[in-house]
Amino acid sequence: MLPLNYAILKLFENGDEYDVQGVEAELKGDYSSFRAFKSKAINESLMSAEKNGLLDEVRYELDDKQELHVYYKANEYGADMIKSYIK
Amino acid sequence: MNDSQQLAEARRARTSSFFKKGVLIAIASGILYGVYGSFLTGATFWGEWIPWYGYLEGAQGAGWYDAGTSAIITNTLGTYAMPMSFLMAVLILGALGSGLNDFFSAIWMLIKAAIQGRLADFGRCFKSKPGLVMIVCALIGGPIASTAFLIALIMAGPIATPISALCPAIGAIIGRIIFKQELNFRMACGIVVCVIATFMIGSTAFTGLELTDPMFLAGLAVALISALGWGIEGAVAGFGTSVIDYNISITIRQVTSGVVTLFILVPVLFLFAGNVGLYPTMVIDALTGPLFTDGVLSSPLIILLISGLAAGLSFAFWYKGNSMCGAALGMACNGMFSFWVPFFSFLVLGLYMGGGEAYFLAPIQWAAAIVMVIGIFLIAVNPLDWFKKDKEA
Repeated sequence: MLPLNYAILKLFENGDEYDVQGVEAELKGDYSSFRAFKSKAINESLMSAEKNGLLDEVRYELDDKQELHVYYKANEYGADMIKSYIK
Repeated sequence: MNDSQQLAEARRARTSSFFKKGVLIAIASGILYGVYGSFLTGATFWGEWIPWYGYLEGAQGAGWYDAGTSAIITNTLGTYAMPMSFLMAVLILGALGSGLNDFFSAIWMLIKAAIQGRLADFGRCFKSKPGLVMIVCALIGGPIASTAFLIALIMAGPIATPISALCPAIGAIIGRIIFKQELNFRMACGIVVCVIATFMIGSTAFTGLELTDPMFLAGLAVALISALGWGIEGAVAGFGTSVIDYNISITIRQVTSGVVTLFILVPVLFLFAGNVGLYPTMVIDALTGPLFTDGVLSSPLIILLISGLAAGLSFAFWYKGNSMCGAALGMACNGMFSFWVPFFSFLVLGLYMGGGEAYFLAPIQWAAAIVMVIGIFLIAVNPLDWFKKDKEA
C-alpha cells in the first residue's frame, strides 16, 4: 500500500484531472480509515504540488452551494517526476 | 457581483489564504528555531555541562580558536579527566548536544506521527525513493552542516554565524536552478536585504578579526559549507514536502539526524579523541548530571526535551513553509532565526536563567530585525501591486 500523499499524486500520472472531491472519491475505498484522509489536508497537498510545479490548475467552477472546485492535472515534468519517484 | 466575478473572487481568496498560511508557518519556523537554539544553549548551564564548558571557557583567553591547544574534559566528581585538543572538545560537546537534541526531537515527532495516525506511512515513506532523498537531506543538513558550523565557529569565530545564515540565498538559487521556482530581481534584492540584516545582527561580535590569518579564512570557507548544506536541505526538502507529507518528512529528518549524530558521529569523535569508553558515561552525564533545585528548568534532560520539541516543530514548519511559499520566501522568513535566537537567548538565558547583560540585545540587533522584515516583504510582495490595487479601488 502506498503512503496517502503518494497515492494522491499517483492519480495524476496518466494525465487525468481531479479536484479534491474527485481525489476523495477515488481513494476512499483504501484510505477512508486514515485519520489524515480529510478534504483540507488533500486540498493543501494539491496546492503544494501545484506550487512546486508538479500539477497545473486546469479549470475551476462554483457548484450549486457556491463552493469552489479547482481541478488539477499533472504537467509533463510532474508526470515524469511522479512516475520515476513514486513506485 | 455576477457569477464570473464571484468565481474569480473565490479563487483569489483560496490562493491568498494558502499563501498567507505558508508565510505564517515559515515565520513560526524561525521563531521556534529561536526557542530551540536558546534552550539548547541553556542545557549547558546545568549539570555536568558546567565543568565541561567551564574548561573551554576558562582557557578562552589562552587561545580559544587555537585548534592545537589542549583541554581537559572532566566531571564534577572528578571520576574522569580526559585531555583532548580544543577542536575535538568543542566538536564532541557540540555534537553531543545536537545529537541528544535531535534524538529527543525524533521521539517527539514519532509520538506526533502516531497521534496523527501517520506512523505506518512513515515506515512506508522511509523505504521509498523520496524517503531516501529526505534521508540524504537530513545527513547534509544535520551532521554535516552542523559539524561544519561548529568547526567554523572555532576557526573563524562568531562571524561564522552570519556566513552560515547565507543559506536562504543559496536555497533560493538552488530552488530556481533545479526546481524552476520563481526568483526575479525584486526577490533577489529582498534576499540581499535579509543577508545585510543578518550581518548587522552578528556585527556586535565582529571585534579583533584576523582578516589575513589562514585559520580565519579557512574558517570562513567551512562556514560556507554549512550555509551550502542548509541551503540544499531547505530547497530539496521543501520540494520533497510536496511529495511526502511534512509531518512524515520531518520525522524522517530527525530520526536520521538524531541516530546518525548520537550513535555514529559522537562515538567516532570519541574514537579519534582516543577514549571511546568514555562515550556512554558522558551521554548519561549529559542527562543525569547533578540537578539544581531552583526551578523546573534546572535539569539538562528537561531543557533538552523542550529544545527537541521546538527543533522538531521548527524544522517541520520550515519544510512546510518552503513547500507552500517556494524556497526563496520560505527560507527568508525562516532566516529571521538570526534575530529570534538572540531574542530568546535574552529571555531564556539572560532573564530567566540569570545569564545577565551578556545576552541583552544591542540596538543594532533590533534595527536589523526591522530591516529583515522589509527584506521579507520585498521578496513576498511586489510594491507595484499595491499601487495597482489603489487604482482599481
